Amino acid sequence: MQELHYSRPTTVADAVVALARPDARVLAGGTDLIVQVRENRRQVAHVIDLKRIPELNAITRQADGGWRIGAAASVGRLGRDAAFAAEHHALLDSARLIGSLQIQNRASLGGNVCNAAPSADAVPLLICLGARGVVAGPGGRRTLPIVEIATGPGRSSLAAAEILVAIVVPAQTGRWAAKYLRFTPRREMDIAIAGVGVWLQLDQQSAITGAAITLASVAPTPLVAAAAQTLLVGERLSPKLIAAAAQSAADEARPISDTRGSADYRRQLVAVLTRRALEACAGELGIHGT
Amino acid sequence: MKIVVTLDVNGEPRQALADGRDTLLQLVRDQLGLTGTKEGCSNGNCGACTVLLDGEPVCACLVLAAEAQGAHVTTIEGVAVGNALHPVQAALIKFGGTQCGFCTPGVVLSAVALLDRVAVPSDADIRYAIAGNICRCTGYGKIVEAIQAVATSRQEASR
Amino acid sequence: MTSIREISEPSLQVVGRRIPRVDAGERVTGRAIYCADLMRPGMITGHIKRSPHAHARILAIDTSKAAALKGVLAVVTAQDFPVVAPGTIIPFGETGADAWVSALTVIARDRVLWRGHAVAAVAATDPYIAAKAVDLIEVSYEVLPALMDIETATAPDAAVMFPEHKPKGFDAANPAPRNVGGRTLIERGDTAAALATAAVIAEVHTITDTAHQGYIEPQACVAEAEATGFVTIWASTQGAFQAEIQTAVLLGLPQSQLKVIPLETGGAFGGKITVHVEPIAARLAQKCGRPVKIVTSREETFAGGSGPAAAARIAMKIAADATGKLTAIDGRYVLDSGGIPGTPTTLLMQASAAPYQCANLRLDGWEIVTNKPRTEAYRGPGGIQAAFALEQAMDEIALKLDLDPLELRRRNAAVTGSMMPIGTPFPTIAFTAIADRIAAHPCWREPLAAGHLPRGRGLAFGYWRGTSMTSAAHVTIAGDGRPMVTMGAVDISGTRTAMAQVAAEEFGLGVADVHVAMGDTKSVGYSDAAAGSRVGRTMAAAVSYACKDALDQLRARAAQRLQCPLSELAYAGGVFRAGAATISLFDLMRATLTEGAIVGRGVSTKLPLGVETAAHVCDVEVDPETGQVTILRYTAFQDVGRALNPPAVEGQIEGSVSQGIGWALTEGFDYAADGRLRNASMLDYRMPTALDLPTINCVLIETPVPDVPYGVRGVAEVPIVPVAACVGNAIRRAIGVRMTHMPMTPERIVMALRAAATEPVPARA
Repeated sequence: MQELHYSRPTTVADAVVALARPDARVLAGGTDLIVQVRENRRQVAHVIDLKRIPELNAITRQADGGWRIGAAASVGRLGRDAAFAAEHHALLDSARLIGSLQIQNRASLGGNVCNAAPSADAVPLLICLGARGVVAGPGGRRTLPIVEIATGPGRSSLAAAEILVAIVVPAQTGRWAAKYLRFTPRREMDIAIAGVGVWLQLDQQSAITGAAITLASVAPTPLVAAAAQTLLVGERLSPKLIAAAAQSAADEARPISDTRGSADYRRQLVAVLTRRALEACAGELGIHGT
Repeated sequence: MKIVVTLDVNGEPRQALADGRDTLLQLVRDQLGLTGTKEGCSNGNCGACTVLLDGEPVCACLVLAAEAQGAHVTTIEGVAVGNALHPVQAALIKFGGTQCGFCTPGVVLSAVALLDRVAVPSDADIRYAIAGNICRCTGYGKIVEAIQAVATSRQEASR
Repeated sequence: MTSIREISEPSLQVVGRRIPRVDAGERVTGRAIYCADLMRPGMITGHIKRSPHAHARILAIDTSKAAALKGVLAVVTAQDFPVVAPGTIIPFGETGADAWVSALTVIARDRVLWRGHAVAAVAATDPYIAAKAVDLIEVSYEVLPALMDIETATAPDAAVMFPEHKPKGFDAANPAPRNVGGRTLIERGDTAAALATAAVIAEVHTITDTAHQGYIEPQACVAEAEATGFVTIWASTQGAFQAEIQTAVLLGLPQSQLKVIPLETGGAFGGKITVHVEPIAARLAQKCGRPVKIVTSREETFAGGSGPAAAARIAMKIAADATGKLTAIDGRYVLDSGGIPGTPTTLLMQASAAPYQCANLRLDGWEIVTNKPRTEAYRGPGGIQAAFALEQAMDEIALKLDLDPLELRRRNAAVTGSMMPIGTPFPTIAFTAIADRIAAHPCWREPLAAGHLPRGRGLAFGYWRGTSMTSAAHVTIAGDGRPMVTMGAVDISGTRTAMAQVAAEEFGLGVADVHVAMGDTKSVGYSDAAAGSRVGRTMAAAVSYACKDALDQLRARAAQRLQCPLSELAYAGGVFRAGAATISLFDLMRATLTEGAIVGRGVSTKLPLGVETAAHVCDVEVDPETGQVTILRYTAFQDVGRALNPPAVEGQIEGSVSQGIGWALTEGFDYAADGRLRNASMLDYRMPTALDLPTINCVLIETPVPDVPYGVRGVAEVPIVPVAACVGNAIRRAIGVRMTHMPMTPERIVMALRAAATEPVPARA
């Protein structure tokens, strides 16, 4: 473990400057980074702590009804925002699967996104909800869909000196529901063997006007089950439709076998969790008999 | 790189010299001599190093010492007031919720934080609150019972 | 949590009462001192260099760069330790132990035997320098084939790990298969004939993965060497004397020049009997003249820095007549010893056959050497693996005969005077009483309510032989009449509290009137390790003897003071009485302390056998789509002899059951073919959290062991024995599939269900 220099900028601009060094890395909650550095899995000499930058800690409801979540705001803090919790309980529930309470009091949604673990629990629903990342870098700011950030295990599309500043969850309209389900052998303190995030939007006649399904732990990155989404849109929820979507999601998964589970088992879990997540959304939307 | 960290620990102003790589766990144990906070895994997976950072339970092994600059930290040494035990501590003694004792400081802090946050926690609330504290000796039953008893007596006292 | 006790002894005032631990206060306030907490003036940090290979010859170790690093004060390799030859027997329990095993476990000499095996160590002024120095040590290896499981190690073309090792029971005419560490055969009657004529046969072949004790405090110690040569070690150990004897031999030090002081132990469960870091820290301290602390990391602890519990393969075949009477038990037990031979199989073989009366036995035990860390004890070593096979086979018999599983066990249960597997009659044994209690208990009587998912109820019996070994204590009386007990055993489970109760009982005083301390190896007499559920019973005896010895000395003084013959002197509740004349213990000692100390001495050894028996009942719910098992209800019945302190006994049972549930469902080491441990963290080695366990109910039954002070039985090992079988039987009843690979992970359950779906549908229970 090499020597570590710590800095704590208070503006995004200062953070971007500090991050210009090739051996620098941003620190949000630190629950992944500190372990990686200690185990020499990441060579880091400078850590840039983002938690004292007000913008990165703010949780605000925007004029259009969307939410802007500072990238370094802890999951614990997010959960204490009653308005956010009421509107986005599914997203919050997914974030509350990250580690223990102790971890959640440090870990941030931004970190969950940027650490780019395929098993990141909060990411599938961010993708399903159409969330975008606000990124600041030496060249200024840009936004991009969250789905475009992870490019492989531990790798992101952000440039070396870029910082994820905030996550914007757009306003959700109409009748909608979301659900993330994962499977772990332990109830807590575990990593998803497979996870499935589902978002559904219905019109007044209960036809599906929008559908999103994103899978965790079954590909190098969170994986959008595009064919399963297509199957759903324009249809009405039925056991048959849900089964077809679940099967499609399982077919789209590209799992590997490792100490946490075999590819075969993961695929089965994707089918089961997709079905159950769709059923949970249907239940929340008052559609019964599915 | 050595850094000076100034923080409030258990209500007392403290200052310590830390290595840039040191965690809050090393700071409280090695620099401040508060060895009640235990190291079981160094990876946030056991909860033995649980402390309250600005009132919230965290794993001290996952916080850099430098991050604690200006923070309020409560360690197990700050839970009792003098020799007056916190009700959670008294209940753990009474119900047999401590055996080898290595996880106990972390369990106490998780329980104290829960009871600060939730007036009347359910069995599920309690189990969730201590799910990040691995205990290998008790099977958790007597710990849950102890925390439940504190909540119950507090509820009765407030009637 | 809920506890029901059957018997109480009205004559006892303190023993058997529910009291809090005398040392609980320091635990809940963080004041209890464990090794990592100890600070010594000038203390520095030791780190260990470990092998990246599972099996390799060490060609050379170059420590020069490490030694030259500023801040590094000492470096050691095996060359710094004397060679300990195989067969160097040291005192250890009832059988002795081979110090060669300890020496090889602590540091590799010419060959590494598992990945993570220690090869060198450094002491440096801070942990970052120590870590860097470890990286600077250059070791050249000739990599040898790794034998990572029993099949590979016993293959006809496998490399032989210890060609010089000659296991008993083989000769030139009957050569041992490759890498056999030892073999034990227990035979009675004619098993083959009984199997040939049986009405029903059940055969269960089980696999158990390597598991870890999972103590939360890693391996740790502090060592300090004085200029005079005297070495002090503060240890996290189950046995200070065992640590001292092993360390003395490994260092070539007379025991007069070595003291081991046991500190609080943050969990051990069998994994802190053999030394791991103590001799290394001591040698480093000797070399640099500074106190050295070594605390292993979690990854080191799991991956080679400690001894896990043995993996096993058991082939169990049992036969019964049409009424369910057992006619044969035919078990083949193969244990994976890890990298050094010496894992005993006899206790687990007995554990698997002892619960039942059966005329024909063939118990065939093998231990195999592989390139995993050398295995060590874990709570009733081998018991859970053995019961996982036998008790599931019993369940198969019950299913085949359509018999109530409790009734089947009752018909066969061992009783007082029936024959043990080794051919001697059982002393008092309580299976029948336990069966009666189960039959009357709601956990068995109440039908299991249907749920949304399949549910099942399981039952399993458990047996552990128990042991005695030896314990020593002395008691001295303070100037105010208060007894002060020093015991030779380490307190890993509430021993100080239970012994305070015993001493208080003996003197007719309250617990607050006595003090009990753990002695170090220079302050009290030899005691065996706190292992094998022996300390409670043998230390209670030693303390009782010591108190009686002290009281005899006090009586003589009191008689002199009261000027009465000894025969007229009575003692009760802290007061000596002769007719109307009295003198309190307080006044007696105030008056006579300076006439000379009272020192009562107690040594207990070879106590009568007190077998441990238990039976567990659990209800589970299984999600067949994910394989997740939820334990809805768990009840543990156990004959505890006499509960000195019932909450402590319940604590042992609840902790055992939770460890058993962990191993049953989620805990197993996952070794790659090259010896790497894939799940060397507390994230991926999944020990149960508070959300994974049910409330564990305890039913304590007390049948005291005759001729043992207070009738105490061991209580802490048998409650892990039936757990996996009990859960496995419940799963079988829920989903119709027999799970034979432990841990019974969700994935294994899903795959077993899938395999079953392509076979004819098994009969639903």
